Amino acid sequence: MSLERPEPSTHDQVGVTERGLDYEAIDDLLGDLVIGRESHLNAEGFVVRPERVAEALDRLKQQAGFDHLSCVTAQEYDDRFESIYHLKKYADPTQEVSVVVPTSHDDPHSQSGNAVFRTADWHEREAYDLMGITYDDHPDLRRILLPETWQGHPMRKDYDKEQPQVVTFREHANPLQEDHRAGGGEGDTMFVNIGPHHPATHGVLHLKTVLDGETVADVEPDIGYLHRCEEQMCQQGTYRHQIMPYPDRWDYISAGILNEWAYARTAEDLADIEVPEYAQIIRTMSAEMCRIASHMLAVGTFALDVYGDFTAIFMYSTRDREIVQNLLEDLTGQRLMFNYLRLGGVAWDLPEPREEYFEKVRDFLDDLPAKLEEYHDLITGNEIFQLRCVNTGVLDPEMAKSYGTTGPVARGSGIDYDLRRDDPYGYYPELDWDVITEDGCDNYSRVLVRMKEVEESAKIIEQCVDLLEDWPEEEREIQANVPRTLKPDNDTEVYRAVEGAKGELGIYIRADGTDKPARFKIRSPCYSNLQALPEMSNGEYIPDMIASLGSLDIVLGEVDR
Amino acid sequence: MNWGLLQEGNNSSNASAGAANGSANASAAGGGEVQTLPDTLGSLLGLGQMGPLETFAMAVIASGAVATFLLTLVAVSGIWGKRKITAAFTDRIAVNRIGPFGLLIIVADAVRLLSKELVIPDGVDRPAFDIAPVIMVSSALLGFAVIPMGNGIQIADPETGLAYVFAVSSIASLGLVTAGYASNNKFSFLGGLRAVAQNIAYEIPLVVTAASVVIFAGSLQMSTIVEQQAQTLVTLGGLDIPSWYAFVNPFAFVLFMAANLAEVGRNPFDVPEAPTEIVAGWQTEYSSVYFVLCYLSEFIHIFLGGAIIATIFLGGPAGPVLPGFLWFVIKILAVYLFTQWARSAVPRVRIDQLIEIGWKGMLVLSFANLLLTAIIVGVIA
Repeated sequence: MSLERPEPSTHDQVGVTERGLDYEAIDDLLGDLVIGRESHLNAEGFVVRPERVAEALDRLKQQAGFDHLSCVTAQEYDDRFESIYHLKKYADPTQEVSVVVPTSHDDPHSQSGNAVFRTADWHEREAYDLMGITYDDHPDLRRILLPETWQGHPMRKDYDKEQPQVVTFREHANPLQEDHRAGGGEGDTMFVNIGPHHPATHGVLHLKTVLDGETVADVEPDIGYLHRCEEQMCQQGTYRHQIMPYPDRWDYISAGILNEWAYARTAEDLADIEVPEYAQIIRTMSAEMCRIASHMLAVGTFALDVYGDFTAIFMYSTRDREIVQNLLEDLTGQRLMFNYLRLGGVAWDLPEPREEYFEKVRDFLDDLPAKLEEYHDLITGNEIFQLRCVNTGVLDPEMAKSYGTTGPVARGSGIDYDLRRDDPYGYYPELDWDVITEDGCDNYSRVLVRMKEVEESAKIIEQCVDLLEDWPEEEREIQANVPRTLKPDNDTEVYRAVEGAKGELGIYIRADGTDKPARFKIRSPCYSNLQALPEMSNGEYIPDMIASLGSLDIVLGEVDR
Repeated sequence: MNWGLLQEGNNSSNASAGAANGSANASAAGGGEVQTLPDTLGSLLGLGQMGPLETFAMAVIASGAVATFLLTLVAVSGIWGKRKITAAFTDRIAVNRIGPFGLLIIVADAVRLLSKELVIPDGVDRPAFDIAPVIMVSSALLGFAVIPMGNGIQIADPETGLAYVFAVSSIASLGLVTAGYASNNKFSFLGGLRAVAQNIAYEIPLVVTAASVVIFAGSLQMSTIVEQQAQTLVTLGGLDIPSWYAFVNPFAFVLFMAANLAEVGRNPFDVPEAPTEIVAGWQTEYSSVYFVLCYLSEFIHIFLGGAIIATIFLGGPAGPVLPGFLWFVIKILAVYLFTQWARSAVPRVRIDQLIEIGWKGMLVLSFANLLLTAIIVGVIA
C-alpha cells in the first residue's frame, strides 16, 4: 500500500526501541538537567532546569533526533509558571517528548530555546506577551500579538481586565526617515510598510520591509491585527459543545472541519472517547473536502499574487471551490463555519436522499481531473510562471525544520511529513493515497504540492464515498455515547495535532477537573510557517517576497488566533 | 457626424478601395498631398482657400471630433467592455443590471468616479502632482493627430508622422515619473521608477522595429505607409492579399506587439502598477478625477498603441466591404482585446526579468530585424 512510510531512520537515535520510545534512555541522556518527570497523555514530560533549557533541547535534537519543536505552551499554576516545549520527530511524529520548564511565580524567567530551534523565537515571544514569562538569551523578546503599549499579560490569573489600555494611534515608523541598514553606508535603503492594508497580505498582516532598490534587505512580519483571544475563549467554554464552534474561526477559509478535528481529536483523547467507524469515514470525507476548498483558494490567491488582479485563474479556482462549498453546505448546513463535528462523532448523518448526494460528490470528482489539467496548463505549465517561481523563495529543508514548518510548505521543501499518515487518525490508514513531496524548496514546489494534494484528497473522498454507500443502514452510528458533561481528571495534559490545510494544527489542553479546560493552547501551522518568511525573502526582489508570502498560504485568523 | 458626407468630400485617401485603386492613390499621393480632416471640413463649409486662422479653427473642430470619439471609445470599452471581456475570460457575467447589456453603467460609473472626494495627500509636490495626469492623457491624445483613421479622418499628415507619434507618446513617461515622484509615497516612487526603466527599455526596440517598416515604406509619413500596404502581396485563389507589413514581416509585427504590451504596461509587463506588489504603483495616491485621468490615459495609450499597430502593420483603415473607419476601429479593438487577454492569462514578470528581456532580448532582436530588413530591401529594390 502506498501509505507505507519509508523505513524510519530513527534507529540509531537515543531512546528508540522496537516497542516505541524508551523514556528511561532519554532520562539518562538529559542526566543532571532533569529535576522531575511528568506524564502527559501524548508523551512523557521531563522537567528541566530553567537555566539550561537550550542544552536540554540541543541534546534531544542532536542525540535523540527530536528535530521538530512543534509548540511552546506557557501556562500558570498557583505556585509557578511553566513553559512546555512539545518536541516531535519529522521522521516519526508519534515519537514525542515534552520538556517542561518551571519558573518561579514572582520572577518567571527561563532560558530561551531559540539557539536550538528558530521557531522558539516567535513561540516564546507569544508566551512572553500573553503570560509574561521572560526568556533569557532570547534575541528579540518583544510583544508579538498585542500592541507594544499593552499593560500586563492577559492570560495571567491576576490580570486586571478592567484596567484601561492605551493603544496609541500612530504611524508604524516614520516612512520618510533615512535608512542605511543594509550595505554598510553605500547606497541608501528604504523602509516600506507593506500592509496592514495591502492587496497581497491576505488579510491584516503588516510587513516591515527594508528595501535596497528593488531588493528586500530585511523583512519583519508584524502580526496580531486579528488577535481575537481564541485560546482564552476556548478556556471559558465547556468541552462538550461550547468549544467546537471556535476552531472554524481559526483558519476560516473553508478549512473548518479540519480545524474542528484538531479539537475533536485532542478532547477525545483527553476524555477517552472512541469514535464509531462510520463517523470516522464521514469526518475523513468532509475534512478532505475542506482541504480541497482550502487548497483551491491557496492556488487561486497565489495566482493573484503572481499574475495580478483580474486574472482567470483566481476566478476559475473560486468557481470550482464553490462546488465543494455546495457539497459541504449540503452536508453541514453551512458554507464556512461548519460546526459539524461533535466529540465522539459528527452532528448528523449524510443528507437524504443519500444517492443524490453521492452522485453530486461523484460528479465533482469526475470533473476534477479535467479542471486540474486546465490549472496546470494555466499555471504550472506557463514559462513566465516558472521563470517567476522556480528557485525563488527557497527554504532549504534544514531551515524548514528549524522553523517548525509543516504542511505543504514543509512538503514543498522535500520533508516527507504528513500527520494523516505519520500519526494516523480518522480513517486515513485504511485508505489508499499518497503523501506528496517536492524537492524544489521553492515557490513553485509549494504550489505543485498543493495542486497534487487536491488529487490525493479527491482519491480519499472517492474511497470514502464508496465505503459510505455500501455501509449497512443499521450500522450507521454517527456519534459515540458521550456523557453530557465531560470532566477529565485534574491535571491531565495532552497535546495532539492533526494535519490541517496549512500544516500541523495542534492543541494542548490541561484539564483541572472541571468541565472547562484550564489551559487551551493552539499550535497554528500558519504561525510557524510565517516565521520562515524572512528566511525565504531576504536578498530577493519584492515580487518574489510577495510570491513567497502567497506560497506560504497563511490565514491571519489562524496566525493571530 | 455624417461619415458618409465626409467620405464623399474626401477624394484621395480612401483606403477602403480595392488594391488597384490603392496603388493609384499611392502614385497620386507621391507628393504627400493628402486631404486632411481640417481641409475637408473647410471645403465642406465652402471656405475655399483657407488662411491660417481658418485652418486653425477647422483643426480645432476636427481634433475635438476625434478626441470626442476616442473618449467615447474609452468610455465604452474601458468601463463597460473591459468588464465584459474580463468576465468572459473568467467565467462571470459582469455588469448587466443598468440599461441594456448593462451599458448605462458607463454613466453611473462616470458619475461615481467624478463625485468622489479628491484626496490630495499631505506633502505632495504641487503643481507637479496635478499636472502629471494631464501630461499623460494629453500625450496619448496628441498621438492621434497624425493617425489616418480612414474615410479621410486624419487631422494632419506631416512628413515625419511616425516620428511624431513616438515622440509625443513617450512624453507619457515624463508624466509617470512626475506622478511617482510628486506623490510623496514610496509605492508611487517605486512605480514611477519602474515605469521609467520599463519605458526606456522598451521604447528603443519599439522605435527600431517601427524603423524597419519605414525602410519598407520609404517614408515616415503615415499616409504613405498606409498606401504602400495597399499593394497586392500575393494572390491566393483569386483573393488579393494586401502587402500589410504584418504579412510582409511577421517577425517585426510580433516584436512590435510584445514591445507595445510593455509600452502600455499590461501583463506580462504591468510592473509599474503591479497591484499585488506595490499597491498601484505611480497612481497609488490619485483619487477621484485625477484617477479618472490616469485611467483614461492608460486606455488611450492602449488605443494609440493599437492605432500605431493598425497603421504601420495592418494596412491602416484598409479592409473589404466595411468603411475604412470601421475597419480602423475594429483593428484598434482587436489590439485592445489582445491586451485584455494577456492581462487575464499571463503572469507578470519580475522587474529585473523585464529589464533583461528588454535590453538583452528585444533590443538585439529589433536591431537584427532592422538590419535584415535593410539588407532585403537593399537587395530587392
